[in-house]
Amino acid sequence: MRLGRILWFAVLAIALGASGAANWLAPAGYAKQYREATDARPSAEHWLGTDELGRDRFARVLYGTRISLLLAPAAALLSTLLAALIGGLAGYLGGVWSRIAMAVTDLFLSLPWLFLLITVRALMPLNVSPFVSVLVTFLLLGLLGWTVAARVLCASAASVRSSDFVRQAKAAGLSGQRLFWVHVVPNLKPVLYAQFWISIPVFILSEANLGILGLGVAEPMPSWGSLLKELESLVSVGAEPWKFVPLVLLVLVVTSFQILLSKQEEAAG
Amino acid sequence: MNTETQNGALLSANLTVRYTGKPPVLRDVELEIREGEVLGLVGQSGSGKSTLAMAILGLLEKKRARAEGSIQFRNLDLLNLSERELRSLRGRTISLVLQSPLSSLNPALKIRTQLKEAWRAHAAGTGADCTNAIRACLRSVSLPDGEEFLRKYPSQMSVGQAQRVLIAMAVMHRPALLIADEATSALDVITQSEILELFRSLNRSTGTAILYISHDLASVAGICDRIAILHEGQIVECGATEQIFANPQHDYTRKLMAALPRVLPADTSPARKSEAAAAR
Repeated sequence: MRLGRILWFAVLAIALGASGAANWLAPAGYAKQYREATDARPSAEHWLGTDELGRDRFARVLYGTRISLLLAPAAALLSTLLAALIGGLAGYLGGVWSRIAMAVTDLFLSLPWLFLLITVRALMPLNVSPFVSVLVTFLLLGLLGWTVAARVLCASAASVRSSDFVRQAKAAGLSGQRLFWVHVVPNLKPVLYAQFWISIPVFILSEANLGILGLGVAEPMPSWGSLLKELESLVSVGAEPWKFVPLVLLVLVVTSFQILLSKQEEAAG
Repeated sequence: MNTETQNGALLSANLTVRYTGKPPVLRDVELEIREGEVLGLVGQSGSGKSTLAMAILGLLEKKRARAEGSIQFRNLDLLNLSERELRSLRGRTISLVLQSPLSSLNPALKIRTQLKEAWRAHAAGTGADCTNAIRACLRSVSLPDGEEFLRKYPSQMSVGQAQRVLIAMAVMHRPALLIADEATSALDVITQSEILELFRSLNRSTGTAILYISHDLASVAGICDRIAILHEGQIVECGATEQIFANPQHDYTRKLMAALPRVLPADTSPARKSEAAAAR
């Protein structure tokens, strides 16, 4: 379904474009307070109203989208690189190295991912600057999220290691390092790309989970997680539907990622 | 055991190889390869031919396979060398061409990169030196040496071209010994004869000795000076090609000779028909 793919791609493009142009589209910065209009309903001046501190909700959604859509790919990149290094090396070296790496991976995989994330984040200082909180969240997601990808990459590297072309390259006198970087890693690229894209929606949701619990990006910087936190105090769903915009956006973006990835997988065969 | 190679012998092996928990794949195999000769190693699948090739190159998996005895190569016992020492020999002094050309080239790398890596493994120099060496070795195997060809990926080449690239890679550093492990088995008959001719001409022009491993006695007869017959992990017969063909001594060699296909007009006589029926 070509049309479906275009539509979902358009959703992503709009979200990315709008968040990238937040400086021009938003009526004010994400931290600017309109003290005379706290918790205001949508109006011509504030399209999505204001929060309890008088900050423009539309501006916060745009900036929050930017943070979430930058943070998730950055964390995905870090976790994919770690997975390539740990899983790729383990698969390439084989034997005891592979067994140790996969035992550690299994240990990580056996722990409930969300609880692990929350526990580790809770162990770290909570009273930090917004920038540091973004950095911590990004590092935490990236450093804890490599395990599934590592397992896939370990299997791929092991299969490349036993291939004829690696044997031929060994017979040409290449060192172990050259074999890994020149012959093994380029053959892991398709798996690395797939793991990178698959990780992005997972990390968007993980960041949102941390944010709802107040363990993600610190105030006043917005992210989808911290914007969703506002829903905690919602009395009635129908009373203030505009507060659901971050949730709708989150669902739309994650769904479009998943659908585009599955379409890509179908196309690849 | 540390016997020196005899006069004229490039490599002299006395070898037993066993995989963990299994009977030996090679049992006291005695093999000698002379300087500049083409030695054919013939045997059916599973007889241990590739194991012997991998043992010579030190590429047997150490955890799974154990090699005992000695492989004397120019007064070095290859079985006693460290990995670093073996690596300095691989590709430079002893090189390998494998069976399946397209799977023996990295599908993700351009031909230029693969040849460059093979050159850089044993040579230092400028980019221009490397390019010149690559072009020279491509010409030596009758391949185009232009940019267009160097930018190709293995999937963009024919099987014959891919095999020539592998041979170019193998002869790049003018090795003393080239091991061709079933190097023509995956090729059609015309390409096969072209590659055999290439091996022969490289052997004549560079003096590189060739260990030509194959289960195809006909192709071995085409290029080899001597033939060794490997059967169930043992060399059962070894001698000059003419001698093996004219007067095979061992039962297994005779069986191999009898199995050679004969290109004759179809015999439809009643006698031939009943012979064929009896054979079925």
